[in-house]
Amino acid sequence: MIGVCLKWVDRRPEPAGVGGGPDQPDERFAGVSAADQAALEWALRQRDLAGGEIVAVTVGPAAADAVLRDALAAGADRAVRVDRPFGAPSRTVADDLATVFAEATTVWCGDYSFDRGTGSVPAFVAAALGIGQALGLVAIDVDVAGIGALRRLDGGRRERLAITGRAVLSVEGGTALLRRAPLRGLLAKPVIDVVVPAQRIDAAHPADARPFRPRPRAFAPPAGSTALDRIRTLTAAGATVAHGETVTLDPPAAAERILSALREWGYI
Amino acid sequence: MPDVDVIVVGAGPAGSCAAIVLARAGKKVVLIERGPFPGSKNMYGGVVYPRILDQLIPEWWLEAPIQRWVTRRSTMIMTDTKALTIDFRSQAWGAPPYNGATAYRPDFDAWLADHAVAAGAELICSTTVTGLLHDANGHVSGVVTDRPDGELTASVVIACDGVNSFLAKQEGLYGEFDAANYTLGVKETLALPKDVIDERFGVRGTDGVDIEIIGCTGGVNGGGFIYTNLDTIAVGLVLKLPKLAAQKQRPEQLIARLKAHPAIAPLVEGGEIKEYSAHLIPEAGISMLPTLAGNGILLAGDAAALCLAAGIWLEGVNFAMASGMYAGQAAAEAIRSKDTSVAGLAGYQRRLEATFVLKDHRKLRRAPELVLSDRVQHLYPEFATSVAERMFRVDNPEPKPGVRKIVAQERKRVGIRRRDLAKDGLAGLRSFG
Ligand SMILES: Cc1cc2nc3c(=O)[nH]c(=O)nc-3n(C[C@H](O)[C@H](O)[C@H](O)COP(=O)(O)OP(=O)(O)OC[C@H]3O[C@@H](n4cnc5c(N)ncnc54)[C@H](O)[C@@H]3O)c2cc1C
Repeated sequence: MIGVCLKWVDRRPEPAGVGGGPDQPDERFAGVSAADQAALEWALRQRDLAGGEIVAVTVGPAAADAVLRDALAAGADRAVRVDRPFGAPSRTVADDLATVFAEATTVWCGDYSFDRGTGSVPAFVAAALGIGQALGLVAIDVDVAGIGALRRLDGGRRERLAITGRAVLSVEGGTALLRRAPLRGLLAKPVIDVVVPAQRIDAAHPADARPFRPRPRAFAPPAGSTALDRIRTLTAAGATVAHGETVTLDPPAAAERILSALREWGYI
Repeated sequence: MPDVDVIVVGAGPAGSCAAIVLARAGKKVVLIERGPFPGSKNMYGGVVYPRILDQLIPEWWLEAPIQRWVTRRSTMIMTDTKALTIDFRSQAWGAPPYNGATAYRPDFDAWLADHAVAAGAELICSTTVTGLLHDANGHVSGVVTDRPDGELTASVVIACDGVNSFLAKQEGLYGEFDAANYTLGVKETLALPKDVIDERFGVRGTDGVDIEIIGCTGGVNGGGFIYTNLDTIAVGLVLKLPKLAAQKQRPEQLIARLKAHPAIAPLVEGGEIKEYSAHLIPEAGISMLPTLAGNGILLAGDAAALCLAAGIWLEGVNFAMASGMYAGQAAAEAIRSKDTSVAGLAGYQRRLEATFVLKDHRKLRRAPELVLSDRVQHLYPEFATSVAERMFRVDNPEPKPGVRKIVAQERKRVGIRRRDLAKDGLAGLRSFG
């Protein structure tokens, strides 16, 4: 089985479920992101080359069937909707997807959704299935023997991967353009299996519905007897700029030193 | 056997009403729309006169996505510095069964198409019909779309693909193309708080205003409009194409000019532009009417040039809904009688002739030419506003001149020949009388 994850999202500039946006997507403007479309296209190419059955899955309300109808029209073999209200937390969505993909050899996902998603669902799916993950792919080469991919790393670097075993792959939108569904595909009566999860999580997780705020961190109050001193301490104004230190350490100690420096500087 | 009974091209008001009727008649109908959803590509000024919907969706006002009910209708005649307004208000129009309403097309068209789907029509979006299929006898037998494997056959194709219909042209149903038959409609949607709109336009709740304007288009012949939505207003112009091209004017500059007019500026001040859109209008009425039916094909709505644009009236959506509905009825009838040739589809023309669709067009056949004529556009606004100015001006110690004297003096000053005034008056009486 080749799995494809399709998230039904609001494609308006102020999407539903994001701080400031409305609560529910407007069906007219809802659909899947370019990244999810690319994921479906890669699944279709993989199946066309190596065979297999494509199962397209979405987690969402009945209106989300629209994205599955489009996937079937484009060539997916089967479609499953896990029935949940819009805006379920990533972890829940990933667990739902994993139950459908228990037998999947490859699971294709978009790297992140249009409604400012964090891109965590693919990683959660891989964890739930206990299989490999290759996330943030910018180039893919599907072959009968396996899949070659180029992964985006920080700092403009790339990592070349050869994917042979079971894996969850998340792809960027620019990697492929979804083929146009044939007219007959759109006219065919779609069959969509609806799965009702045993434990329902209702509505949006409250934390998801609020505007984005960075996680709070506790700091000790700045030292100083006057307000000006405290501001100086807080902003380090007038202090000598600390230059980086160069240390030579073995790898475990170096890692420890990096972590302690990051902690010291307030990054973690 | 064709794939389906009827293919309706275009899910605007004409297409959706045709599809509703056909689906309810038990016909297999596919409604093909090039936009991602019905209404996504459509624009207009902003007022729908949905009386005809009484026949399709009883008590439609309980569910239609309406912004405001038009209870105030003004006609404004203006020059660069003057404006004369005839203002009508009726609270009866703010209660069922209502008269006119402002609505956004992406809401209204999508709602209408939902009714077609609920009735059993198959709606296919993001799909452009690129041509017609013909059988061995040359009868239209289906359409070609831009999708792979994109041909679909049907007993009847109803082209509701809007103004400048490529399908009607491909089928040779239009005569020579003449740009003078079309106007360009341009519109800005400006956001303002609801209470500001209520206050500026003198309305409350969901009551709304429709202002039609003559004399606001500079050297280009045309007209203008302002409509109120809940928290936006639509300000737009309708511009005669050859004049626009000859004057080398930009439509957005002409809108800016209208917005700066002393009578308009206080209404639109502070409005944030949310949208700018433009679209052609088939403006010439009955004189540009194409052949409405061919073998296996019917034209409805703007595709059939059935838009009534006659100065104080700019009605297209109601004509589209009605013609779509009648096209649907005629197609269902033809399929039942197994004759979808021109003769079999003759019920369409019959229905249009028997109702307001062609009756209004025939009655107002002289109106578009009259309203867009140079005299009405450039001389009469100056004449009418000057007469008003002098009537209301107090020239003490001079005594008040009589109205007849003012009219005669102003007519001469503006340069209108008595003969032309009489001719236009007669034409106006014949059209609107
Ligand atoms: C500026 C302006 C102001 C107006 N103001 C008013 C007003 O206030 N009140 C009023 O009643 N009327 C007004 N009108 C007129 C009114 O908009 C039209 O008469 C009306 O929309 C016609 O409806 P229709 O269904 O025939 O065509 P349209 O509304 O144009 O719909 C045609 C549909 O066909 C689709 N289509 C086109 N080609 C294809 C293809 N090849 N394949 C698939 N789909 C296709 C389009 O995407 C569209 O959805 C105005 C028009 C303009 C331009």
